[in-house]
Amino acid sequence: AGFSETGRKLVKGAWAGGKPENAVSGNAPKPEFRVDPASGDIVPTPGQIVAYTGCIGCTTLCGVRVRVDTERNRVLRVAGNPYTPMSTDPFLPYGTPVKESFKALSRFQEKGLNGRSTACGRGNAVLENVTSPFRVTTPLKRVGPRGSGRWEPIPFDRLVREVCDGGDLFGEGPVEGLAALRDLKTPIDPAAPELGPRVNQVALVTGVPDGRESLAQRFFQQAYGSINYVGHGSYCGGAYRAGSGAVFGDTKKQPHAKPDIANAEFVVFIGTAPSNAGNPFKRQATLVAKARTDGALRYVVVDPVLTNARAAAAGERAGWIPIRPGTDGAFAMGIIRWMFENDRIDAKYLSQPNGKAAEAAGEAGWCNATHLVVVQAGHPREGRLLRASDMGWVTLDDKERYGDRDAFVVLDPATGAPAAHDAAAAATLFHDGGVPTPAGDLAVKTGLTLLREEAMRLDLGAYADACGVPADVIAGLARELTSHGKKAAVNAHGGMMSGSGFYNAFAVVTINTLLGNLNWKGGTIVGGGRFPEGGDGPRYRLAGFPGQVKPAGIPLGRNVPYEKTAEFKAAKQAGRAYPAKAPWYPTAPGLTTEWMSSGIADGYPYPVKALLLWNANPVYGIPGAHRFARHLADPKTVPLVVAIDPFINESTALADYIVPDTVLYETWGWTSAWGGVPTKMTTARWPVLVPRTDKLPDGQPIQLEPFLIALAERLGLPGFGPGAIEDMDGNRYPLETAEDWHLRAGANVAWLGKQPVPDAGDEDIAFSGVGRLLPALKATLKPEEWRKVAFILARGGRYQNQAEGFEGDRAAQRFAKPLQVYNEAVGTSKSSITGRRWPGTASWMPAVFADGTPVGDVHKPEDWPFQLVSSKSVLVSAYTIGATRLRHLHPENPVGVNAEDAGRLGIETGDRIRIATPGGAELATAIVRHGVMPGVLAVEHGFGHKEYGARAHVIGDRRQPEVPGIAAGVNLNDLGLADPTRPGASVWVDPVAGTAVRQGIPAKIERVGSPT
Amino acid sequence: MDQSRRNFCLGVGAATAGAATLPPVPAEAAATRQGGDPAHRWGMVVDVRKCVGCQACTVACIMENDVPENSFRTIVSTYEVTEEGRSGTYMLPRLCNHCEDPPCIPVCPTGATYQRRDGIVVVDNTVCVGCAYCVQACPYDARFINHETQTADKCTFCVHRVEAGLLPACVETCVGGARIFGDLNDPGSTVSALVRDQAPKVLKPEQGTQPRVFYIGLDPKFQGKVDGTPTLWRPSAAAEHDDGYRVDEAHAEPRAAKEHA
Amino acid sequence: MMDTSIVEVINVTREVAWLPWAVQYFFLIGLSVGGLLLSLPGYAFARAGWRKLGRVALLAALTCGLAAPVALLSDLHQPGRFWHFYVVFRPTSWMWWGSIIIPLYVTALLVYGWACLREELHEQGRVDSRLAALYRLAALGGGRDDRLIRTAGLVALAASLLVALYTGSEVAVVRARPLWHTPFLPVQFLATALAGAAGLVLLLNRFAADGDRDVEVRANRLLAAALGAVMLVGALWLALGLSGLEPTHAEALRSVAGSEAWRVTAVWAVAATVLPFAIAVAKPAGTGLLTGLVAVHGAWMFRWTVFIGGQTVPKTGAGFYEYALPAGPDGVLGIVGTAGLWMFLLLAVTAVLPIPRRAAPGMPHPIAAE
Ligand SMILES: Nc1nc2c(c(=O)[nH]1)N[C@H]1C(S)=C(S)[C@@H](COP(=O)(O)OP(=O)(O)OC[C@H]3O[C@@H](n4cnc5c(=O)[nH]c(N)nc54)[C@H](O)[C@@H]3O)O[C@H]1N2
Ligand SMILES: Nc1nc2c(c(=O)[nH]1)N[C@H]1C(S)=C(S)[C@@H](COP(=O)(O)OP(=O)(O)OC[C@H]3O[C@@H](n4cnc5c(=O)[nH]c(N)nc54)[C@H](O)[C@@H]3O)O[C@H]1N2
Ligand code: SF4
Ligand code: SF4
Ligand code: SF4
Ligand code: SF4
Ligand code: SF4
Ligand SMILES: [Mo]
Repeated sequence: AGFSETGRKLVKGAWAGGKPENAVSGNAPKPEFRVDPASGDIVPTPGQIVAYTGCIGCTTLCGVRVRVDTERNRVLRVAGNPYTPMSTDPFLPYGTPVKESFKALSRFQEKGLNGRSTACGRGNAVLENVTSPFRVTTPLKRVGPRGSGRWEPIPFDRLVREVCDGGDLFGEGPVEGLAALRDLKTPIDPAAPELGPRVNQVALVTGVPDGRESLAQRFFQQAYGSINYVGHGSYCGGAYRAGSGAVFGDTKKQPHAKPDIANAEFVVFIGTAPSNAGNPFKRQATLVAKARTDGALRYVVVDPVLTNARAAAAGERAGWIPIRPGTDGAFAMGIIRWMFENDRIDAKYLSQPNGKAAEAAGEAGWCNATHLVVVQAGHPREGRLLRASDMGWVTLDDKERYGDRDAFVVLDPATGAPAAHDAAAAATLFHDGGVPTPAGDLAVKTGLTLLREEAMRLDLGAYADACGVPADVIAGLARELTSHGKKAAVNAHGGMMSGSGFYNAFAVVTINTLLGNLNWKGGTIVGGGRFPEGGDGPRYRLAGFPGQVKPAGIPLGRNVPYEKTAEFKAAKQAGRAYPAKAPWYPTAPGLTTEWMSSGIADGYPYPVKALLLWNANPVYGIPGAHRFARHLADPKTVPLVVAIDPFINESTALADYIVPDTVLYETWGWTSAWGGVPTKMTTARWPVLVPRTDKLPDGQPIQLEPFLIALAERLGLPGFGPGAIEDMDGNRYPLETAEDWHLRAGANVAWLGKQPVPDAGDEDIAFSGVGRLLPALKATLKPEEWRKVAFILARGGRYQNQAEGFEGDRAAQRFAKPLQVYNEAVGTSKSSITGRRWPGTASWMPAVFADGTPVGDVHKPEDWPFQLVSSKSVLVSAYTIGATRLRHLHPENPVGVNAEDAGRLGIETGDRIRIATPGGAELATAIVRHGVMPGVLAVEHGFGHKEYGARAHVIGDRRQPEVPGIAAGVNLNDLGLADPTRPGASVWVDPVAGTAVRQGIPAKIERVGSPT
Repeated sequence: MDQSRRNFCLGVGAATAGAATLPPVPAEAAATRQGGDPAHRWGMVVDVRKCVGCQACTVACIMENDVPENSFRTIVSTYEVTEEGRSGTYMLPRLCNHCEDPPCIPVCPTGATYQRRDGIVVVDNTVCVGCAYCVQACPYDARFINHETQTADKCTFCVHRVEAGLLPACVETCVGGARIFGDLNDPGSTVSALVRDQAPKVLKPEQGTQPRVFYIGLDPKFQGKVDGTPTLWRPSAAAEHDDGYRVDEAHAEPRAAKEHA
Repeated sequence: MMDTSIVEVINVTREVAWLPWAVQYFFLIGLSVGGLLLSLPGYAFARAGWRKLGRVALLAALTCGLAAPVALLSDLHQPGRFWHFYVVFRPTSWMWWGSIIIPLYVTALLVYGWACLREELHEQGRVDSRLAALYRLAALGGGRDDRLIRTAGLVALAASLLVALYTGSEVAVVRARPLWHTPFLPVQFLATALAGAAGLVLLLNRFAADGDRDVEVRANRLLAAALGAVMLVGALWLALGLSGLEPTHAEALRSVAGSEAWRVTAVWAVAATVLPFAIAVAKPAGTGLLTGLVAVHGAWMFRWTVFIGGQTVPKTGAGFYEYALPAGPDGVLGIVGTAGLWMFLLLAVTAVLPIPRRAAPGMPHPIAAE
């Protein structure tokens, strides 16, 4: 028997294995083109095209180049698009012909070394998602109960009919369809009209913002009319964004800036790990690598866990400071205190009370440090910024009072007299005293005074004790940070997702304010932004349409003031205004965290009748949300769940219907950088492959767009169908296919900016693979348009030239509004549970539950000596786990345990451990590391899947494969907590921002066995 | 590194300094080389300080060269290293060194492994008997038996791309810009300049193999066999069988149907 | 507390590329060479006292020598291309030399074996049976021819030394593996091969011969001598390594130091050498089955450890690659397969040439008497 193999091979003779193509290069396909070494001339390879499109390997959404085997309709390999800053530095001038761009990637004159354009490890592997055996390619309807894993393929029109019309769809009784649920008039609760009409009971959760949001919002909000459209922000980096929003003065849109890595001299990354994750992942990685070797950059990563961000080979250029989870506020306030004490704040910047004064003083921005805040206890304006109208300088009607035209008040440093902020030059930085007003003397302080008081509340030693970073290290960092002028910055992100996240982030971002680095080269920049495709023009009006609905009411996430609800009024009348039934988050944007818990599970403030899940996986992604899977699975709780997704994930597995969406290189989308790119850019993702989903009778592949269009048609919604799109001259065009939308969006992009992009020549079209789209381009667009859109598609987007990112040493795209040292909206908002006000400046606030109870009082450190944190995997994102090439490289996520802790507990690398938290328990493999703060358990995110192929689904009579490797490792979120102080369903969230808590989860561990 | 210095070296100054740093190929070794253009000597410089450990190179190599599942022609070994209480992540890209004096060649009983005149060490898969002697002889664990072709396999410096005027896949997509590829015979090339100016090191110099993959920022602790706690990584060739399904079936288009244009 | 700590987070595991087939080959070819050497005094040098032992040893040499190349072929991943060895001139490769030497050796062994056994074939041809003609044919009409035996024996001896040289050198030249890269290795291979062969003689004496006590004692003495050599060489290797006089040995030791598995292996190896040595010296009679078994096992273990164990030492990575013996042809089946083949060959040879009847004590050998 032993020789059977030898025998078989012998019989096969000269080729015992597969016979590869080439004696030396094996199965490597022919190179995509050849470049003449002397002339640089490009000769394409027949059967292959090289196209510039977009990656969805993670939310960075880089522009990439893919090499397509046209005959087999497969992507052979992925690399970067040299036109985009997301993949290249320096990137090509936008006008460069496509053919030249190929040259720029080649060995010719070593151009390809300096102009290197890349895709990351995930980006190289994610092409496996196209041919994944786990893809859904046909509409599915569940068979048996939700989550049973059995599905029946159904025709598209039946899907649309059932979803719209409802009926006894599952033999479980009648289900209301989207038609019946679209009630724009009847209030959900006549006693609480502020909740809005019944249509709000239809809700949509989306995750990866893949560049089709404008169309999805057009459908869901403007046409269908529900207010409940939410993204993944609250469980992505919501707390950071909220803290940043507080500083940038907009807690809803939450602007944020990023360090200008390429030009900075010193950056402290606090809870974000450039080149390990971070957004934009790849761009930051490239810039950091370059800046720490060829450039001037030195940086320090403050993180409980050592990641790739601290590259040992970079020596002193890269540092790591371990910090206790969730205590960044203490760390940042320590730095702030040191800055005040040592007079190392940027006083010149801080003292400019308005933009003009700042400009005159040579500053690139300004802030409200000098604006006076009413601090008189019990005064109706307590916590508010003092205004011109308070001083009696202007009289405004109620509508305008305290609005934009009602100036703030500052003190003139020379005279000490109050002045309107917009009339003054440099104003007094610190003041604690009275100002005379028509209504008498009023106690006020400048914002900066409030911040200083807050910072001085604890001494450096106390801050150091709280965060576990020694005082001298904090002081040293502060000194270094303040030694580079405006070429120093701090940055944060995922590490802020703790129970103190909002104020931690507020404090971290406030350091940048005190450094005065915003809008400066080498400081922090908001980035160039995008060429918006979905606006009203310049070619087509895509933003609005006749008959559009303006959704109204209170969103499921309760991100509005509690004080404006009927519930509040009733409670107040009853004499107990607080607490509310569950927390409200007046300063937050949409909160999926609250949707999943109170919203869906408890039906508070109102029950959900139908849930749409589009490219989202909240059950996997939100710590503790797995607990609500059973609610989601209960038709009595949510009668209808429709998922639009290419895969069956932990959330979509619980759907009634799955609408197959297309994946990456098959799809359309208009995306931009999340930040950190000085120039304006929009990446165009276009289908370079023929989608593998089923086709409709008219040849369209099934995906999001035709589904929405068909729903709109059946529901008779405005804004879709024939004549739904208007051009600037009032001519009307149909919205009946994906191309109808995306190509016209492309026309808008083409005409934006100072002048429209040039026409694509035939050579561009031939080399870029855009030829595939010519029929659609010509059929959909006007004669003067199609070549311009082709120009954009051929280059994978529209990109402002690199040189235009800065004007001298200032960013060309500047944030013009004032930064908030004191945020009035925050400082006057209250906890809807305690009724207490939140501080309006940065502050150190140890984690508390909703009712103000310190987390450590409930889950005592003696019982839970460890804290769980999670970091992104450098290799996988949650939905690339199916890519075998990544899994083989890194098949599991062993949990990092500090070496001393491990020694004490007798744990060795490879041992099995049991991790328990107040929210659950999981088995895991341990890896003993020095690069983990003592008392911390480090969980790499992206593993521990229960779906995506970890469990076989049966579709019709076909059983999908089942791959235990996909289930390998643990998901921290399965250990997430509920808030024990809340009566109803909950996950633990930041009390101000309402964002998920995945850092600093109390835990304990024990060794359960040795490796097998 | 000092920008101006590098630029200077790339220019005229460099040309006069010449490629004198690298010893010429011994005549008898040169005589046994075949194929390729002797005008070039391809080589790589890896600037470890720039590597971010993203493994783009690893995956790109797999995709470009259709490396079988669970096999790797290159990988970025990643270590957590702690010295005197300071921890960091050390990321070390590894691949075939295309040695000037490669021990994998003399042992080959069939001549399947040979060196081209441009220095690239390759395996002729139509000649190789799969005896794996070369696998044993390579001091860098750079070789393996390809279970699809049943022959010895390793990095080819993407010779098919280089000959087409392109860069190797791993170089092209190196996110950190750590992998630098070029002609060591051309004194004006970036690799020549780096070899001249940065005094890069090589792995296991004591083996006398004269690697033509050089490293900037190579820590001596990682120059030879690394002394540390091994990875928990297991050959998933076995693991994948544990998965209970054959990889081939998992692909919508089975590998058997693989034909390249 | 170490002051530097390194934890490998991502790295590849290289598979073992020389499979258990290779272990089987080196084991069998070693036993064959050993067997051949042990057969020489009795046959080639016509020492009567060694004749009986020689016959058993010859049996070992022949059966192992025939099975070995099959195992070697199976270790090639492209066995159908074995002829590629013969269309090139690759003098730098010991394996290439091996491809020349093996057929040479096997041929020499067969001719020598035939010459030695011709007498028995001839004998069988005189027995009244239907096969007698065949035996006569096989004996080519002749009987014992000591000159022929001697000539063939000397050629086979030369070939066997070449085999010993090439097998040892093939592995010893691999500088990339410090555990292999030592001039001691060929000597260790030879010494363990002799010990293994002596062990196999002890076993075959029991199961494929008449269990002669004389043979047992003699083989046990030989075994003791071989094991003594093994210990001597081993001790020297270790001494040079521990003292650091020989850097490669020191590096080899370093590469396996701190491994529990290797410690166990080392203890085991010492036990498997010292134990049979002591028994063979103290009580050479009646212990053959035990010492034989341990010795054969020791020879196999040595090769298993060198090849499989050696390949689990990463050349660059930290720690060890894990090796789990696969169930299929690359593992267990390979081992079982070669063992089966050898068994088959043994049965075939003993069927063709049955164990000579035990001569009555004091009586001269019937043939010699003629
Ligand atoms: N413990 C822990 N939890 C975390 C994190 C963490 O670090 N640790 N990270 C958090 C962060 S930052 C975020 S942003 C969230 C993310 O969480 P989500 O945005 O909810 O979900 P994702 O898992 O990113 O996947 C979104 C969906 O996109 C689909 N998809 C994948 N590729 C494609 C494609 O090409 N086309 C289409 N149409 N769909 C595709 C997938 O099938 C999946 O269903 O998770 C958060 N959760
Ligand atoms: N490789 C990879 N890159 C990605 C993604 C991916 O999935 N994989 N996803 C993208 C997405 S969606 C996002 S939002 C970004 C997120 O990018 P980041 O925000 O940079 O990543 P995270 O891993 O979420 O968190 C950053 C770090 O915070 C640390 N941390 C945990 N708790 C604390 C704490 O209490 N204090 C401090 N100071 N640090 C703490 C973690 O150890 C982690 O290293 O990355 C994007 N890029
Ligand atoms: S960073 Fe994300 S989007 Fe960019 S190439 Fe990598 S996986 Fe793709
Ligand atoms: S690295 Fe190994 S395989 Fe590559 S040339 Fe050197 S010895 Fe040969
Ligand atoms: S495996 Fe192939 S290339 Fe390697 S030594 Fe054997 S025949 Fe030569
Ligand atoms: S040069 Fe080519 S074959 Fe070698 S490691 Fe890089 S991609 Fe792989
Ligand atoms: S692609 Fe470059 S930066 Fe990324 S791991 Fe490979 S060598 Fe390092
Ligand atoms: Mo995110």
